[in-house]
Amino acid sequence: MVKTVLGKLLLGLLLVVLVFVGFSTALAQDEGSAVTVSAENLPQAIADAKPGDAIEVTGGIFTGHLDIDKPVTLIGIDWPVIDGENNGTVVNLTAPGITMRGFIIRNSGQVLDQENSGIAIQAADITIENNRFENTLFGVYAKNGHNAVIRNNVITSKDLDLPRRGDPIRIWYSQDVLIEGNEITKGRDVVLWYSERVTVRDNEVSDGRYGLHFMYCDDATIEYNTLLDNSVGAFFMYSRRVTVQHNTIAGNRGPSGYGVGMKDMDDAIIRENIFLDNRVGVHLDTSPREVDSFGRYDGNVFAYNDIGVGMMPSVRRNEFSNNSFVDNEEQVAVGGGGQLKGNIWSVNGQGNYWSDYAGYDADDDGTGDLVYKSDRLFENLMQREPSLRLFLYSPATNAIDFSAKAFPIVRPQPKVEDEFPLMTPQIPTEAPQMPQATGETWFIFAVVFTAMALALVLLPRLTRKRYIFPQPETQA
Amino acid sequence: MLDFENILVLTQKELYDARRNRWFMLYAVAFTGLALGLAYMALSGAGNYGLAGFGRTSASLINLVLLIVPLMGLTLGALSLAGEREKGTLMYLMAQPISQAELLLGKFVGLSLALIAALGIGFGLTAFAIALNGGSAEIDTYLILMGFAVVLAVASLSLGFLISAAVQRGSTAIGLALFLWLLLVFFGDLGLMGTALVLQLDVQQLFLAALVNPLQLFKIAAISGIRSNLEVLGPAGVYAFRTYGSALLPLLLGLLLLWVIIPLLLATYLFKKRGVL
Amino acid sequence: MIEVAHLTKRFGRLRAVDDLSFNVEEGQAVAFWGANGAGKTTVIRCLLNLIPYEGDITVSGIDVRRNGKQVRQTVGFVPQELNFHDDLTIAETMTFYARLKKIETEHDFTPLLDRLDLSQHVAKPISDLSGGMKQRLALALALQADPPLLVLDEPTVNLDIRSRDTFIQLLLELKHAGKTMVFSSHRLEEVTALADRILLLEAGKLVVDSPPDQLEQQLGWESTLHLYLARTAIQPALDALQQHGLPVAMNGRGVRVQVAPGKKGQVLQMLCEAGVQVDDFTVE
Repeated sequence: MVKTVLGKLLLGLLLVVLVFVGFSTALAQDEGSAVTVSAENLPQAIADAKPGDAIEVTGGIFTGHLDIDKPVTLIGIDWPVIDGENNGTVVNLTAPGITMRGFIIRNSGQVLDQENSGIAIQAADITIENNRFENTLFGVYAKNGHNAVIRNNVITSKDLDLPRRGDPIRIWYSQDVLIEGNEITKGRDVVLWYSERVTVRDNEVSDGRYGLHFMYCDDATIEYNTLLDNSVGAFFMYSRRVTVQHNTIAGNRGPSGYGVGMKDMDDAIIRENIFLDNRVGVHLDTSPREVDSFGRYDGNVFAYNDIGVGMMPSVRRNEFSNNSFVDNEEQVAVGGGGQLKGNIWSVNGQGNYWSDYAGYDADDDGTGDLVYKSDRLFENLMQREPSLRLFLYSPATNAIDFSAKAFPIVRPQPKVEDEFPLMTPQIPTEAPQMPQATGETWFIFAVVFTAMALALVLLPRLTRKRYIFPQPETQA
Repeated sequence: MLDFENILVLTQKELYDARRNRWFMLYAVAFTGLALGLAYMALSGAGNYGLAGFGRTSASLINLVLLIVPLMGLTLGALSLAGEREKGTLMYLMAQPISQAELLLGKFVGLSLALIAALGIGFGLTAFAIALNGGSAEIDTYLILMGFAVVLAVASLSLGFLISAAVQRGSTAIGLALFLWLLLVFFGDLGLMGTALVLQLDVQQLFLAALVNPLQLFKIAAISGIRSNLEVLGPAGVYAFRTYGSALLPLLLGLLLLWVIIPLLLATYLFKKRGVL
Repeated sequence: MIEVAHLTKRFGRLRAVDDLSFNVEEGQAVAFWGANGAGKTTVIRCLLNLIPYEGDITVSGIDVRRNGKQVRQTVGFVPQELNFHDDLTIAETMTFYARLKKIETEHDFTPLLDRLDLSQHVAKPISDLSGGMKQRLALALALQADPPLLVLDEPTVNLDIRSRDTFIQLLLELKHAGKTMVFSSHRLEEVTALADRILLLEAGKLVVDSPPDQLEQQLGWESTLHLYLARTAIQPALDALQQHGLPVAMNGRGVRVQVAPGKKGQVLQMLCEAGVQVDDFTVE
């Protein structure tokens, strides 16, 4: 008796579950837009899809080339792979409104002038999000891809010599693009051509050639990025009204390596960035170009660069205020020598902090009472005869500077005069933190080496009971 | 034939003496103190920007090594034979069944190890300071810097030995060592800079002329080890990097080793020729 | 055992040793005697190849210049200036040099140190030792490896009179034990007491080579006798000696008189006869 009741109950429960599952499945199919496939079946799923459909791809590997010509959303689950077999471009997006999310795209061809890419965007309103690019020559290549969003992708190129690698991201004639939160390493250049109102935010670009490269890109905003250990952090050419703010730009030391290079740039605003340990923090060449335009540098830190700010001698109309020049080997350099008279080193009584400022602040208003003058004799000699840079770090250079201090007659004309030098450095708070390595290997090295060194000096003994000597009677 | 047992005994004696040598202790403490001080300054400054500033620390260390390490090597080397000669202990030592070359080598190895120990303590404790500040940068560049500092120390020591073998009195030897130090650290470079300005030397000539100075060898090697290129040294650096490429570091090391070997050989020759007086 | 031929050592223009030739037989004790600067020390340094020289020296048939290290293996050397490393103890010093001499480990130095009366001091640093202790240490070091040949440069110069005698006694024992010995000294009594042969050096040249008992005759040398007299006795003494035709002069607390070899007693005899009382005398 009891048994049958229990049996009925179970049966009822089973029915309820079955109905619920069947209903919800039917409901999903009724909406008609989501199918779930494995990567192998992608071409068929795309062929079958209607515009606006979403396709969930649950793992698997699709080998070959994928062309998507209708506005669908591809959602990768468990990292489905699209493998281009080291030939040509892996994925071509030719319809506007496509979204690709959560894929591993790998093994493009490696022909540079065919721009073999992971994903080629050839239409507007396309979103590339949360994908990983592995062994693709170019990563994302957008041509006429207005409003593209390239977000949170991890991109590298192929393991080739730097000039033979491709660009992790290349944008060509695409307006209003957003490049955000990508992690890019060991590519060639992240490069943008003829694209207006681009926003580049929160990316980390490392170990490439040009971390960022802008050509003819007006009204761009570059912020919160970390540009690390590239040949050049960011290079801007022929663009207007670019804003570069809250970035951390460090270790960019390639041949002619700059943290930020500016060529023919009008009305640029560079503020609250950190320039650390670059060959040259900011390099200026004919920027600004137009007579009625300016360049504004406010609240940046230039620290531990070989050259803090380097300018070509003809550069004019830049304003520097609230920047902190900290222990750059040369705080300011003029290519070929000369002074930087056409530039302004304080705005409204706000100058810059100079770590080599020797003055004082008697009235305690935060501003030094003496004018800061950048007039090191050895720097002057180097600018007249660049090959003398060979003697950098040599104590002889300190001797030269010392003699110039002692005998003002050999002191050169100052390159820079700041009438309102700040007494304390200003530290930008919003720029990203530098990645912190662990000190473990350093600890191990430190302990092992100090111990070995101490042992070397302290251990040698001359008597180690090698011979037998009489034991003198100890005196009571 | 060299008797390595004798060399070992003399090396031990030299190391044993080193820790009672006021000069040596002064240098070891000064080097360690200054290295730590520089590292602390660079690190505490850099800490504000989230960079543990090894690049800056290493630049300071290069400067410090250039200034102090040749002084350590030259003076300790200069005192080695001349000091014992003046005290009269050299006479008795050489009356033992050892050869001149063995004595010289034993002392040289002993003092080299002592110098390595002094640098090791300095670099070791500085690494400790860097570690406390979060490490940053790979340790291999630091090891390259330290390795070349050691070779520079040994080369200076070898030059000091040459002085020591050539003169009779400790005070003369110290005087000569200080003069040579000034020459290597200041006047050599100043003279070369002047020459470059006046004669308009091209970068090749300038670079090759600079290579004569062991201090420049160390500096260029250290920088090319820390940086991946020599751009920081201007046109001459770029020239060197283009011309020699990856052979540059071994080349510089080889030249520095010549500065170790040749003065030591000359010192042995002079010591044999002049005897213990 | 030692053969020296045409040994010459120049310091600049000065010839410290000038064309010196001599041989030393095994078991012999040979002394270099002469004033300071006569070249004694220089010869000894050449014997050990401590300084370069002209001429030829062989020890046991080994060329010193070419195989100095091998020669030094067979020589125990006591230098004139006792410069050891001040901060080492006796035991450390002994160990250091023993290792250079390749004396096998576990060798017991107790008998040697006992004999030289140093056993109580093994843990003392050199800087705390007296001149006599240092001299004995130098001998101990020279004897460490029990070498057949001892070379001693002014071995008693650092000693006071009393310890000098004991030291000479020690050296005599070594000589009787069969060691070949070459030493330098400017003290005649030391030389005559120890040496089988005396080589007199003057300005780097060998002047006399003779056994000690024939030395004075060979030289026709006069001794100088200092006689210490009461003040009132000085004039009578002068008179008495002048009568005998001896060259005599007043000298502070007495008189000084030149005497031919073997005639020193006669002077005292003469004064005795003249009724002059001699308090004391020294010979030079």
